[in-house]
Amino acid sequence: MIRLINVTKHYPGRHHVLREVNLHLRKGEMALLTGPSGAGKSTLLKMLLRLEGVSNGTLMVNGVDLSTLKRRHIPAYRRRIGVVFQDHKLLMDRDLFSNVALTLQVAGLPDRQVQSRVRAALDKVGLGDRLREYPATLSGGEQQRVGIARAIVHTPEILLADEPTGNLDPRLSNEILDLFRDFHHHGTTVLIATHDQGQIDRLGLPVLRLEGGRLHAPEDHQ
Amino acid sequence: MNLHIRIEAGRNALSALGRQPISTAMTVLALAIVIALPVGLFTVLTNMENLLGNWRNQAQISLFLHKDASPQAIQHLQKALAQTKGVVEVRYVSADAALAEFQKHSGMVAAIQTLGENPLPASFVVQLDPLRYPPSALQQLIGHWAQDPAVATAQSDLHWVARLQAILALGQRAALILAVLLALGAVLVMGNTIRLHIAQRRDEIDVASLVGATRSFIRRPFLYQGLLQGAVAGLVAWGIVVAAFYWLQVPVDRLAALYGTQFNLVALTPEQGATLVIASALLGWLGSLLAVGRHLDHTFA
Repeated sequence: MIRLINVTKHYPGRHHVLREVNLHLRKGEMALLTGPSGAGKSTLLKMLLRLEGVSNGTLMVNGVDLSTLKRRHIPAYRRRIGVVFQDHKLLMDRDLFSNVALTLQVAGLPDRQVQSRVRAALDKVGLGDRLREYPATLSGGEQQRVGIARAIVHTPEILLADEPTGNLDPRLSNEILDLFRDFHHHGTTVLIATHDQGQIDRLGLPVLRLEGGRLHAPEDHQ
Repeated sequence: MNLHIRIEAGRNALSALGRQPISTAMTVLALAIVIALPVGLFTVLTNMENLLGNWRNQAQISLFLHKDASPQAIQHLQKALAQTKGVVEVRYVSADAALAEFQKHSGMVAAIQTLGENPLPASFVVQLDPLRYPPSALQQLIGHWAQDPAVATAQSDLHWVARLQAILALGQRAALILAVLLALGAVLVMGNTIRLHIAQRRDEIDVASLVGATRSFIRRPFLYQGLLQGAVAGLVAWGIVVAAFYWLQVPVDRLAALYGTQFNLVALTPEQGATLVIASALLGWLGSLLAVGRHLDHTFA
C-alpha cells in the first residue's frame, strides 16, 4: 500500500531531512511513526500527501508513483487519503456539518449523499447530534473528532495522522487513538505520527522510528 | 460538470459577498464609475454624431451673386445649374428675400435701416445629391461655379460640419484609449478585491486543497464573485449614464431652442446596455481569474 525505496528528501542549502528511507506498509496495516521533533515525521507525511516532492528514490502509494504524479492528478490522489492534523484545521466560520461535508463536496457528491454520509461520520465520532454547532463551541478533543470525521467521511484507503493527540490529555488521547484502531479494524491502512511514548507502549503497534533522517523499522516493514 | 457543484459555488460566492456588504458595494461602485466614464463619453460623441447626421447627409452650396449681375446672366446660370447632373434643387434667393429672412432671424432691424440700402446680395442655394458629390468633388464643383461671371462668391455650407466631424473622430479615438485604460483599471480593481477575499479564505482554500479539491473547484466561487460584481457594476454604470443624460437634457433643450431646433439626447439603447453589462461582467471575471490563478499556482506548486 505504502512503499518507500531509498527515499531522500533535502531542501536546497539545508541538511537532509530524510536519508535513503525504506518502508513497506501493507494494505490494512496500522503503524506508528515516531521520533524526536524535527526528525522528519511531518515531512514524510507531507510527501505521502504529495504536499512535498521526493528529492531522490521512489515513493509508491497504492501502485501510484508519487515522484512522477502529474500536478493535475494530485487532487484525485488526495481524495483517496484521509488526513488528520494536530491543529485540526477546522474552518471556524462553518458548522460541523459543513466542515465534514467539504471532503465530499470537493469530490462532487450530490447533496443527498453528502447529507447521509456526513451524519454517519459525525455519528461515528460521537457528534451526530451537534451538526449545526460551530467548532469554537467544542473542546479540543471534540474538535479533533470533527477532524477525524472529515478525514474518514469518504472512506479513504489510507488514513494519515500528524500528532493527532498532541494537544490532548491522556484520556482524550486514548479515545482518539481508539477511534483510529476502529477504522483500522474496518480495513483502513493507518499511519500515525506521534511522539507520545505512553500511547506507543499502550497500543502495541509496529513502530517506525525516524532519527537523524534515517528510519528504523521492524524487518518486515523495510 | 455537476450542476449542483456550480449552484453550490454560486451560493458560496453570494454568501461571501453578502458577508461584507459595504466592501462589496464600494467595489461595485468603484467599478461602475470606472466603466461609466468611457461609456458616457462614447455616448456623448454618438449623440453629437447624430446631431451632425442630418447636415452631413446634405451637400449644399451657396452661390452669392454680383450686385450688378444682369438678369440674363442670372437666368443663364440658373439654367446651367439645373442641368448639372446630381443637382436636386436650385433655389433663387433675391436680395430682398435674403434681407427679410435676416431681419426675421437676427432681430437687427434698426441697425440695417441705418445702412440705407440692402447690403445683402442675391444668391442661389444649390442642393446636391450627397452620394454623387463626396467632399472632394464638392470642392471641385465650387471652384467651377466660382468662375461664372455672375458669381461673386461660392461656398459650401458644410465645411464646419467636416471640421466638427474630424474633431469627433479624434474624440472617439481618445475615448477608445480611455476605455482600454479604464478597462485595465477595472480588471486590476477586481483582481485586488478578489485577492483580499482569497487572503480572508486562505484556510478554507488550504483545507480544500488538502482534501482533494481541484483548481477549478477552488477557483469557481471567486470567478462567480467577479462575474456577479462586474455585472452589477455594469448595471450601475448604465444607470449612471442614463441619469447623467436625463440631467443634461434640460440645458440641451435650452441650447437647441436658441438655434430654433430641438434635440433629444439618447443615452443607451437596451442592446447597448446589455452589451455594457456583459462586458463589465467579463471584466470582473477576468480580474478574478488572474488573481485566483496566481494564488493557485502557488498553492498547487
